[in-house]
Amino acid sequence: MAIMKLFNNNPYFKYILGTIIFMIIVFIDLQIGLFASRTVNLLIRVVYFSIVAIGFNILLGYAGQISLGHAAFMGFGAYLTAFISNNFGLGFLPTIILSGLIPMIFGIVLGLVALRLERLYLAIATLGIGVTIEFVFREWVWFTNGFSGARLSRPEIFGFAFNNSRHFLLLATFILFLVVLFTYNLIRSKTGRALSAMRDSNHAAQAMGISLLKYKLIAFALSAFYVGLAGSLYAYAERYVHPSTWGAELSLDMLAMVVIGGLASIGGSITGAGFLVLVPRLVQDLPVIGGITNINFILTGLAMILVIRFMPIGIYNWFDYKVIQPFYYKMLNFDDPGGDD
Amino acid sequence: MHWQIFLQNVFGGIETGSLYALAALGVVLIYRVSDVTNFAQGEMAMFSTFVTYTIWVYSANAGFPYPYVAAFIGALIFSAIFGFLVERVFIRPTSDSSLLGKMIVTLGLILIVNGSAGAIFGTDSYYMRRAISGHIRVGNMIIRPHSFFVIGLAIVIMLVLFYMIKFTMFGVAIRATAQNDKVAKLMGVPTKKVTAFTWIMATMMGAIAGLMIAPATNVYTGMMADVHLKSFIAAVLGGFTSFVGPVVGGLMIGILDNLVGYYISTNWQTVIVYGFLIIILIFKPYGLFGEIPKKKV
Repeated sequence: MAIMKLFNNNPYFKYILGTIIFMIIVFIDLQIGLFASRTVNLLIRVVYFSIVAIGFNILLGYAGQISLGHAAFMGFGAYLTAFISNNFGLGFLPTIILSGLIPMIFGIVLGLVALRLERLYLAIATLGIGVTIEFVFREWVWFTNGFSGARLSRPEIFGFAFNNSRHFLLLATFILFLVVLFTYNLIRSKTGRALSAMRDSNHAAQAMGISLLKYKLIAFALSAFYVGLAGSLYAYAERYVHPSTWGAELSLDMLAMVVIGGLASIGGSITGAGFLVLVPRLVQDLPVIGGITNINFILTGLAMILVIRFMPIGIYNWFDYKVIQPFYYKMLNFDDPGGDD
Repeated sequence: MHWQIFLQNVFGGIETGSLYALAALGVVLIYRVSDVTNFAQGEMAMFSTFVTYTIWVYSANAGFPYPYVAAFIGALIFSAIFGFLVERVFIRPTSDSSLLGKMIVTLGLILIVNGSAGAIFGTDSYYMRRAISGHIRVGNMIIRPHSFFVIGLAIVIMLVLFYMIKFTMFGVAIRATAQNDKVAKLMGVPTKKVTAFTWIMATMMGAIAGLMIAPATNVYTGMMADVHLKSFIAAVLGGFTSFVGPVVGGLMIGILDNLVGYYISTNWQTVIVYGFLIIILIFKPYGLFGEIPKKKV
C-alpha cells in the first residue's frame, strides 16, 4: 500500500525504481556474469532504441507530425560521433551532445519542409529525404568513409575507459533515465501542452495563440536531437558505422516501435523499442520452429499485426488501461488514478 | 550523335517510368479504397515474381512450348489469389484500426512476405529472360523490343483501368468507396467486395511490374526495393487523389533518373533526382494533380 501511494504521489518514482532495479541487475551481472555478452549487447540496443522511440514519440505521439526519414538523423549522429572523436579527440560527453545538436539543426530544416506538407504526403516526402541522406552517407567518403565504414575507439569519461560492455550498458541506462526525466517534464510544460494541442487540432491550437511554425519546428528539432543522441550511443556501442544501416527500414522500424508500444507515452516508447529489438531474437531461440530460416522475421511480422489487431492503442497503453489502472482503482479506491502518460 | 543518346535515355526512362507508374497506381488504388498505405506492395510483387520465375523454369524444363506465356498467365493467377488472401487474412480483420495502425500492418506484412520468400526461394539471385529477346540498332541507338512490350503492356493496363474506373458500374463503386465508404455502403455498394477486388488488381499490377523489371534487376528478395520506393514517390508527386498523377509522376522519375545519371553523375543520381522532386513537393504540397482538401475545423 505504501508503495502504491509512492507510485501515485511521486511521478518520477516508477522511473527511478525501474532504473535502479535494472542497474542493480546489470551490476550483479557484472560481478557474477549472469548474461551472455550477446544479451548485454541486445540490452544496449534496447536502451538506445528507447531513446530513439521517445524522440520519435515526441514528434508523432505528442505533436502529431510524421517523419519516415529519421533514420538519417540517427546515422548522422553516429557518423558525427565517429568523426568528432577521431579527428578532434573530444571526450564522450561533448561528443554525444554535439552529435545531438548538429542533427537538431537539420531537424529544423526538415521541420520547414513539414510546414508545407501533411499526412501521407509528409510521410512519403520524408521517406524520400531519408533515402537521399542515406545515399549522401554512401558517397560522401570524406565524412563517412563510404562503404568501408567509420570506426571509433571505446568511450572514456574523466579517464575511465568503458572497456566492458556492461559498464557501457550502465552508462547508457543512466542517459536513458535522464532523457526520460527530461521528456516527462517537457510534455507537462507549456511546450508539451502546446504540442498536444497542435496534434489535436491545428485550428484550435492557432485560435489559442499557439504558433504552428514555432511548435512544428520545436517538435522536429527535439526529435532530431534525441535520435542523433541515440545514434551517438549506437556508434559508441558498435564502434563501427556502416552507410547501409540508415535506410528506410530503420525509419519504418521507428514508426513501428512507437505505434506498437503506445503513442504519446514514455513507457510505450520503451516497450516498443524492446519489442522490435527483442522479439526477433527471442523467436530464434524457440524450440523446434526456431530452426526454420527467417522464422524470426515471419513471426515478428505476425506479432506486429496481432498487436495492432488486439491492442490497437499499443502494448503499454493497453496494459495501462486494462490492467494497471483498474488495479489502482481497486487498491486505493481513488476516483482518478492520475498521471496522463 | 548527341540527340540520339538523349533520345535513348528518354526512351529508357519511359520504359522504367511506366513500370513505376503501374506500381504507383496499385498503391494509389489501395490507398483510395481501403485507406491503407501499402508499404508491402513491393515485397508482394517480389514474391509473385519469384513464383513466376519458378513456373517459367519448371515449364521450360518440362518441355512446354511457350514457357514465358505459361509463366505470365501463372503470374496473373497467382497474384490474384495472393492479393485476395492478403486482404482477407491480414487487412480485413484490422480494417477498424487507425491510419498508423494500418501502416504497421503492412510493415508486418513486409517481414512476413520477405521472410517467407527467403525461406522458400533462398537468398540467391536468378536470371529472368525478357519478354522479347534481342535488340534493334537504329543509328547509334540500341532499342530492345522488350521495351516496346513493356510500354505497350503498361499503356493497355492503364487504359483498361481508366476505362473501368470512369465508365463501368464497378468503377463507380470504386470511386464511391474511395470517397466515403460508409455512405457507399449505405447506398448498397458492396464495399468489402470492392476492397477485396482492388487488392487483387493492385497485386496483379505489382506482379506485372515485377516481372517486367526482373530482367534488369534479376530475381532476388531485394529486387523491388528501389522500384517500390520510386513508385511511392511517383504517387506522392502526382497526387494520391488522382489516377493520372501517379502515371505522370512515374514517367517523370524514370526519365529524370536516366538523364541525371547520364549527364550529371551516376553516384549522385538518386540524391539529385529525389532532391528535385522534394523541391517540387514543397511548391505543390498535394502533388501535381492532387486535389487540395477542404478543411473542416
